[in-house]
Amino acid sequence: MCDVMDAGKGPDRLDLLLSDYFRPEAATELPRRITTAAQESRAVLERLESKLAVEGTPRGISRVAVGTAAKPASAAARRLVEQAREEIHEYLRGQRAFFQVPVDLTTVPDFQRRVLAATGHIPFGEGRAYAWVASRIGHPRAVRAVGTALGRNPVPLILPCHRVWRSDGSVGGYIFGAAVKDRLAALERTTPVLEGCTSTRIVCRVGCIHGRHMRPDSRVVFASVEDARSVGYRPCKRCRPAA
Amino acid sequence: MDAERGLMAKVARGDQAAFAELAQRYSGKLMAVAGRLLGSRADAEDAVQRAFIHCFAGAGTYDARWAVSTWLYRILTNVCVDELRRRATRSAHDEHSAGALAAASSNHHPPTAYLDLHRALERVPREARVLLALRYVDGLSYGELARIRGISINTVKSQLARGKSLLRAELGKRGADHV
Repeated sequence: MCDVMDAGKGPDRLDLLLSDYFRPEAATELPRRITTAAQESRAVLERLESKLAVEGTPRGISRVAVGTAAKPASAAARRLVEQAREEIHEYLRGQRAFFQVPVDLTTVPDFQRRVLAATGHIPFGEGRAYAWVASRIGHPRAVRAVGTALGRNPVPLILPCHRVWRSDGSVGGYIFGAAVKDRLAALERTTPVLEGCTSTRIVCRVGCIHGRHMRPDSRVVFASVEDARSVGYRPCKRCRPAA
Repeated sequence: MDAERGLMAKVARGDQAAFAELAQRYSGKLMAVAGRLLGSRADAEDAVQRAFIHCFAGAGTYDARWAVSTWLYRILTNVCVDELRRRATRSAHDEHSAGALAAASSNHHPPTAYLDLHRALERVPREARVLLALRYVDGLSYGELARIRGISINTVKSQLARGKSLLRAELGKRGADHV
């Protein structure tokens, strides 16, 4: 007991109370099926990735869909498509919590563009109702139109229309199917957003280029940039978490 | 200690029995940390399961310079801290979640004697709360705490001291005579 107390002092009443409060409970039986469920979930997303076609212009990614992709028209477009593929790959493996690749929505109608932009304000790992998007863009009664606009999202995954659910909490429709939408929600629930590097004491968004060079045992997850600062970390200047 | 490292080596080779033994050995302590940090038993079980999944998947990257317990606590606190972040964003952005959160915390009934402490702990900043839980569940040393959270020993000490002084003040406000 005394070994956990402040060095040089005996346990006081707060120490005793804390020790009692934090006393370990009896071991619980961990359901084995959880591991299998995680593997199945990964398989669904890997299958999706293998079928994805990504197209882009020199301005950004213009299409993500199941099918075959047209050849990039220029070297700049090809580079962006490669970047998008890489980011999608990391995202679907729980190694990325944000997309950096630009999107090109020049052919998308104005209303739809505003709907898609609103989804970008839904925090990673969260869900919002169709009605929330409708009121966010100033058309609270246009819930169905919002649903249609999201259903035609040309760049799903990158613009997160999968974070928009029905008000009753059910998943609603999705371009890649409701099952994938459900898996994406589960994936985002288990992907951390902020990680610090214990050797550089820098905190980054998960997916930042700095994270790639981080050793697995150097990763420490933080709940906020504020928390990280409180224990001596500074935010990354490249990915600028919470900027 | 070496026996545990041997166990980890087996887990890295995909040995299910070794994994089960590791889970058996640590689930109690991990549940205690997660339970105290997350409030509800269901969330704690979920966090511990996720931690074990990470442990199984990442066993290949385990470095034998780490004590197995320290390594597991690092994984678990990473999971728990992210869960706490999610709750904070949920309550800040979505008014519907207020009900859900209240429901989640009402699933957990700390013994009445600890109610004051439980509430007072909620007032302690997250990083200090995590350190307090690790320190009091398993009596971890300052060095181990520093390694688990990737911070300096001095920061561990100052965070713990700050956390405890906040607790004293909170408990004092509530008229508890524990302090």
